[in-house]
Amino acid sequence: MTVYVHSVSMTKFGNNENASLKDLMLTASREALDEARDLKIDAVFVGNYMGGSLANQEILGAIVANDLGLGPIPTAKLEGACASGGIALRQGILGILSGEYESVLVVGVEKMKHAPTATVTQFINSAMDQTTNERYAGLTFPGFFGVVANRYFHETGANKSHLAKLALKNRENALQNPLAQFQKPATLEEIMNARMITDPLGLFDCSPITDGAAAVVLSRKPSDIKIAASAQASGPTMMQDAIDLLSLPAIRISGQQAYEKAGVGPEDIDVVEIHDCFSMTEMLAIEELGFFPKLEGWLAIEQGKTRVNGEKPVNTSGGLLSRGHPIGATGVAQFYQLVLQLRGNAPNQLEKRPRLALAQNLGGTGSYSVVHILERV
Amino acid sequence: MKVYECCGVESVTKKVYCSTCRQEIKNEREVSDKGTVYSFTVIHIAPEEFAHLAPYTVALVQLRDSTAKLTVRIQESVQIGDLVQLEEIKNGTYIYQKVRTA
Ligand SMILES: [Zn+2]
Repeated sequence: MTVYVHSVSMTKFGNNENASLKDLMLTASREALDEARDLKIDAVFVGNYMGGSLANQEILGAIVANDLGLGPIPTAKLEGACASGGIALRQGILGILSGEYESVLVVGVEKMKHAPTATVTQFINSAMDQTTNERYAGLTFPGFFGVVANRYFHETGANKSHLAKLALKNRENALQNPLAQFQKPATLEEIMNARMITDPLGLFDCSPITDGAAAVVLSRKPSDIKIAASAQASGPTMMQDAIDLLSLPAIRISGQQAYEKAGVGPEDIDVVEIHDCFSMTEMLAIEELGFFPKLEGWLAIEQGKTRVNGEKPVNTSGGLLSRGHPIGATGVAQFYQLVLQLRGNAPNQLEKRPRLALAQNLGGTGSYSVVHILERV
Repeated sequence: MKVYECCGVESVTKKVYCSTCRQEIKNEREVSDKGTVYSFTVIHIAPEEFAHLAPYTVALVQLRDSTAKLTVRIQESVQIGDLVQLEEIKNGTYIYQKVRTA
């Protein structure tokens, strides 16, 4: 059996001051449902991370079913930190593959901008193991990738300018994306000299706090885009337990499994959306997914290979860094950009219309990774 | 400092089962609390509970007599390779100090 993508939608990412979590979720869901009106939805899967703690709202699946008149169908909310959206997509796909459902709605959503940064940082930290000495040491989520970056600089010829070039690429891509959070141009100098968040990562190296939602309708009924692979892997939940600090094994394993399922290799992928929660994360991910050799991602950045019309375009949407990162929506928003690329009408559309697209969604400090490969048929 | 071992993997974290052999992890031994800075960061933007300490340094320490690493908070500014040792364990936090620059 094969699963197909029938529609995608996405709200504007950024500060949606006047929209509640529910408003965002229903807006994206409605738009995706309207585009796939001929399908009867059999189940709803919601990707969301902190609706309960930060927006004081749970039962998201039931709200979608009720308010959008989908009837008494089963729904569920999936949580896997920043990979919540990717996991919701995967559960929707598995639900169809099991034979239980013919068509499903997957929606990812997060509402974050109303809370102070220290509060959001505190809640995001619950994506690390809170019972351990790492929490008491005051390690933060960005802090983990700061520690990784300093070691990466130590072992390679890379320095802060390579992370800045990567962040600049994603910002330039976002300028063409009307739904992206940041549409103000930035310069390399500005990125290099920005306020420090966690040494060596500055403001532009870290994904922002964002409100937003995205939705996808999947079905076993054919369309022109199929899911060629869905794979997921787990990794360490603590920094001190990483066997190799410069590796995110969950990304590597989920990538390998996805390539195997799709019967393709990294060289066959035409366009990529990667989980760049931090500039350093994209650097490691382009290596772990086999696009560039281990510890040589920085050379690819230097040579512009991941730019829009480079040999391996990464984050043509602007990525988490500049499109924005409403946590539970991020994995679903990656599908939005890739489906537009495959259809030929994306922001930063590739000159040669792509056939194979890869989405990689990360949760925690490498604790979850989900990889999907989409194929134009 | 105690480390736990099974199938050649040492960790300061006591886990229930070994991911290689699936048996209960039983081997433990005492090792020196001295080590070298494997990497570090200086955290400027902290969560609420640590905001009063910012900016502060968190380091990943490679323990001297073990393959295990340990996440610590350290008072001084450090570089990779600096020799460090335990000063005290306070509220579950390993607080380290620099002994010698790399
Ligand atoms: Zn074992």
